[in-house]
Amino acid sequence: MRSWAFQAGFEDRLLQSLRGDYRVLAPVRGTDGVVRLQPVRSWAELSPAGLPLIPLKKVVFPPHDVLWTLMEYEYREPAPSSVPVALVGIAPCDLYALAYLDLVFADDPHYQRRRQNLLLIGSNCRPTPECFCPPRREPPPFDLFLAADRLWVGSAWGAGLLTALQAELSSPGDLPLPAEITDGQQQVPENLEQLFTASAGLPLWREVGERCVSCGACSAVCPTCYCYEMSDEALPDGRVARRREWDNCFFRNHALVAGGQNFRPTRAERLRFRFEHKMLGFGALRGISACVGCGRCARACPVDIDISAVLAALAGGNKP
Amino acid sequence: MMVAFQPVPAVIEAIDKKVADNHLFTFRLSESISVAPGQFVELSIPGVGAFPVSTAAHPGGATFQACIRRAGRVTAALYRLDEGANVGIRGPFGQGFPLAAFAGRDVLLVAGGLGMAPLRALLQALLGERGRVGEIILLYGSREPDAILFRDELEGLAAAGTIKVRYSVDFATELPWSTDAYVCRIGLVTELLRDLRFAPAQTVAAVCGPPSLYGCVLEDLARLGIDPERIYATLERRMQCGVGQCCHCVTAGVFVCSQGPVFSLAELRRLPGSI
Repeated sequence: MRSWAFQAGFEDRLLQSLRGDYRVLAPVRGTDGVVRLQPVRSWAELSPAGLPLIPLKKVVFPPHDVLWTLMEYEYREPAPSSVPVALVGIAPCDLYALAYLDLVFADDPHYQRRRQNLLLIGSNCRPTPECFCPPRREPPPFDLFLAADRLWVGSAWGAGLLTALQAELSSPGDLPLPAEITDGQQQVPENLEQLFTASAGLPLWREVGERCVSCGACSAVCPTCYCYEMSDEALPDGRVARRREWDNCFFRNHALVAGGQNFRPTRAERLRFRFEHKMLGFGALRGISACVGCGRCARACPVDIDISAVLAALAGGNKP
Repeated sequence: MMVAFQPVPAVIEAIDKKVADNHLFTFRLSESISVAPGQFVELSIPGVGAFPVSTAAHPGGATFQACIRRAGRVTAALYRLDEGANVGIRGPFGQGFPLAAFAGRDVLLVAGGLGMAPLRALLQALLGERGRVGEIILLYGSREPDAILFRDELEGLAAAGTIKVRYSVDFATELPWSTDAYVCRIGLVTELLRDLRFAPAQTVAAVCGPPSLYGCVLEDLARLGIDPERIYATLERRMQCGVGQCCHCVTAGVFVCSQGPVFSLAELRRLPGSI
């Protein structure tokens, strides 16, 4: 992969070069200690930020989105913003998460419109004890990726950004990305499908599920959770808007149909459902793990449910 | 192809209110859509929401017909509308009944309650090419005689000898009726299977009803000798997007909306928790 060394201060000049054409967002730790994706002016604001609490799915798949509005007999799609967004300082796990959402929403016009306008500038992370990234064969998607004093180019769009900054780059080469991006910290057992199927009757799901308070924090902060609910809203100007909003498989009504039948009535069933979605995938994506090992769900859970501990228990380890 | 979230505008053309809380709605669409038996659409009441409903007729095209039970918030809103009101229809979604699998075989239809509606669409498709299938037997269980859907139509077909019809009703104050063409018993629809004379080895079955029906009927049919690959059922779940995204309908890792809702018993056996 094409790579260059860069000089001190390069990151700020890169940010500067983006500012005119892009809405530049990066993870920044607020005075309240919470890391958020927010507009930045200098690279120093990013450091040492870490993962944003609400991941970048919110940029391509907003928590509340309008699919169409209806006035009299005319349906209209909302006009998308034409200003491209640059996400800067994005950790590898969040880039992998975006790659997963790209598969989920490959045919979704609302997602794709935003995604095609999204510039990704990744940067290397330092894994924490809570991280459990799975090992990867492929690098994550990015346009540029920065690690220490080198950058890698992942697309023609990324290469184009460098033309004005060539003077600050040296030692071009064809170098692999830093190994820690693909190494991972926790292996997913190869026979997980069989372990999962055989686990249906285990007390594990009930014991852990009973702790769950169905608050939904885990899904809200998960970079690959994308369940959604559609609802209509009557707007003050007489239009009707159909909205798409983040939903949550831990909520009691997630599988409830009119008439009262609930296909996942217990928290144990809902926990097992979420685990299955994260680790094994649904439909055409069966076999592709959606979990990128960022550890957000475990940090956000008020009752200490940790999906990596459930995974370890399923593979024969200690009870979570 | 990109997912379309906008419905096709439609108006309510007719409402048949013969059965209380299970009205038969006919919608006229501004653009034709083709909904195969077993497939469903999302019917949209603008400003209220949308719900999934199977086609009750075949072929559709410029019209869409569905039996809709007043069961929740959005269907209650539909029941407040009159003929001429504007709605929207998005679809079709899912995999319908595999009509090719019925060719050259006898057909056993087992309906419970509102499950008669999708099976009526299937029946109409089969009757459209009557020569392609053998004997057609319909077993149809309802809560009470007044809840039987399409009764005139079904009894007409039975009287003409086109199909055989056997009803059951859970509750009835007087003795059920019986003619040469059709009989009715008090009890569950499974009772009708007990002394049914048919040729399981050459039969394809299609079952549609509430979830409680599937627990007993599907395996009963297999025990009677019908190949589990040729016993079809259509699953009810909370289908919302219709295209395998929103995840409400997922059962055993499968999107019921796009990979179903029609599955064979052989497939359902591999999907724990589906029946």
